[in-house]
Amino acid sequence: MSMLEIKNLHVTVDGKEILKGINLDIGAGEVHAIMGPNGSGKSTLSYVLAGRDGYEVTEGSVRFKGKDLLDMSVDERAAAGVFLAFQYPLEIPGVTTMNFLKTALNAQRKARGEEELDAVRFLKLVREKAKPLNVTDDMLKRALNVGYSGGEKKRAEVLQMSLLEPALAVLDETDSGLDIDALKTVAEGVNALRSPERAMVVITHYQRLLDYIVPDVVHVLSSGRIVKTGGKELAHELEKSGYAGYGADAA
Amino acid sequence: MSEKAAQKFIETYRGAQDVLPGADGWLARRREAAIDAFTQTGLPHRRLEEWKYTDLRQVLDRANLVPAPAHDGALVLPESQSATAFSAIGKYVLVFVNGVYQPGLSRLAHFPKGAELCALAEVLHEQWAKDIVERRFDEARQAENIVDLNTALMSDGACLRIRKGVKLDKPLHLLFLGADAGASHTRNLILLEDEAEATILETHIGEVASFADIVTDVALGEGAKLDHVKLQDESSEAIHLSTMRARLAASSKLSSFTLTLGCGVSRCQNFVLFSGEGAEANVDGAYALNGKQHLDHFCVIDHAVPGCTSHTLFKGVLDGASEGVFQGKVVVRPQAQKTDGRQMTHALLLSRDAAMNAKPELEIYADDVQCAHGSTVGELSKDAIFYLRSRGIPEAEARRLLVLAFLDETLELASHEGARDALKLLVSDWFSEAGL
Repeated sequence: MSMLEIKNLHVTVDGKEILKGINLDIGAGEVHAIMGPNGSGKSTLSYVLAGRDGYEVTEGSVRFKGKDLLDMSVDERAAAGVFLAFQYPLEIPGVTTMNFLKTALNAQRKARGEEELDAVRFLKLVREKAKPLNVTDDMLKRALNVGYSGGEKKRAEVLQMSLLEPALAVLDETDSGLDIDALKTVAEGVNALRSPERAMVVITHYQRLLDYIVPDVVHVLSSGRIVKTGGKELAHELEKSGYAGYGADAA
Repeated sequence: MSEKAAQKFIETYRGAQDVLPGADGWLARRREAAIDAFTQTGLPHRRLEEWKYTDLRQVLDRANLVPAPAHDGALVLPESQSATAFSAIGKYVLVFVNGVYQPGLSRLAHFPKGAELCALAEVLHEQWAKDIVERRFDEARQAENIVDLNTALMSDGACLRIRKGVKLDKPLHLLFLGADAGASHTRNLILLEDEAEATILETHIGEVASFADIVTDVALGEGAKLDHVKLQDESSEAIHLSTMRARLAASSKLSSFTLTLGCGVSRCQNFVLFSGEGAEANVDGAYALNGKQHLDHFCVIDHAVPGCTSHTLFKGVLDGASEGVFQGKVVVRPQAQKTDGRQMTHALLLSRDAAMNAKPELEIYADDVQCAHGSTVGELSKDAIFYLRSRGIPEAEARRLLVLAFLDETLELASHEGARDALKLLVSDWFSEAGL
């Protein structure tokens, strides 16, 4: 079954066309990597899927589990199962990570008509999910992402994903700002979430991340279009040859 | 003088001077001097720098200033959340309705030895009350005419004296209810002798177009400690004018916190004078305004002696067409070396029509001090809202979460734990009701 179906997607930001006709079909259980140079439209694609303001879809469609994703609000998309792991997770002073996680999980459960978790059951669940990611109780008690290191922020993103169990996870440059050990921890966390019911889109500039999160399909995005699609070996080719061959205007 | 409101006050005084408490003693003379001084100056107006943002003369000229009736007969206290916020915490309770003490609604049983609590009329024969009322404050001279008005017309109030070394075991709760429209003039006198300690919770509630004029005089002896938490949740028709004048002897500590969730026009003034070394004052507050509410916090901290610490943090959220004001001044006198003075104010505007005026000032005449002041006015971060929504939190809930987080920093400063929890709950519910 198709989890995410993007057809001829055109998106403008501040009047400038960034995505110029994206076509993408991702099935349940698949992991697709989207690679491309800076400015190719990778982050724009992730924000459009999440529903951020200021990204205007001028043409095309996005269907998620057969439904019109573009017709849903940001939080409706999340409750329906779309998750974006941010390249730069925001710091939210005054809101503890624990309180944030509980509010988010229960908001999604409520939106889906499921019973909200009480404090005890939530605490048990969050501890269970936090442990393999090495997210400590101390981190959970601190304000969300405030004073977290780069690695801690990305681990916290994966914890959110693990707790919210999305059907479609979009990872936007999850490798940026990570040293190799942090990268391994994050990748293990992501790999643990691979499942036949879940699709993933891994957006990255570098092939390095894909050594740890091995994709089924690799797409090359350049100047707002997918210019090449292949298997995981495509990532290695790119590592050798660079993006130079894919669109002259790519920086 | 053509001022309508000032004339009304003078008339009220002339009509009531023989029946006001203390009419046969020193206070009668003091009242006469005060009304004379008030007649000279009149009510403050916007051409005075300190009243630039709150034109009291104009506000009161439109107000109902007939003295609020003394409430007789059975009256049931409201059951609202604000009215009951401190009920489980305050062991001793003094209730004032329209500014008049209500023994029947109050609870004073088992008030400890070494502490005296009574209404204003009962304390006027005591020297300490005379001393505290006659005290004049240099640093509070801007407030002098407001205090004069209060001195002339004050009819009741809570008077607490705690003897040397005595610690009040449980909080004292002062509940002020405006039950009818009209004016009331309240004077509270608080004396904590050396090493004495007390927690005072104060609630101002009402659904009427009242004008409440409250002056609270505080004197802390050496090493004394006063924790004060004030909650204001009055009608949007109410006018609230409160002035606290506190004098702190060496090593004493004052923590005063004000939460305002409802008011029409409100001016809250705090004057703190350090008169002995090593004392500490924390004057903080939070507020959430909507509609056309107007709240003006005016705060002067006078470091007249060396080695004292003062911290002030006010944070507020303004929705609708509400208006906030913060004017603060930290004065460090030439001899006040080793002063630590901080004054901060932050406001979050939730609507295009809301406004905030902030004017923090430092006046430093000593050179070996640590002082800082600052002010920010902003709106909720769109990126933060998007981040929270991207995790499934609906927009209204995301905004609420961010606003509560913003206020939490200052709510944490309320000195009594139980009161702090009560205030947090009130703030959280305020936002649910406001539908933010």
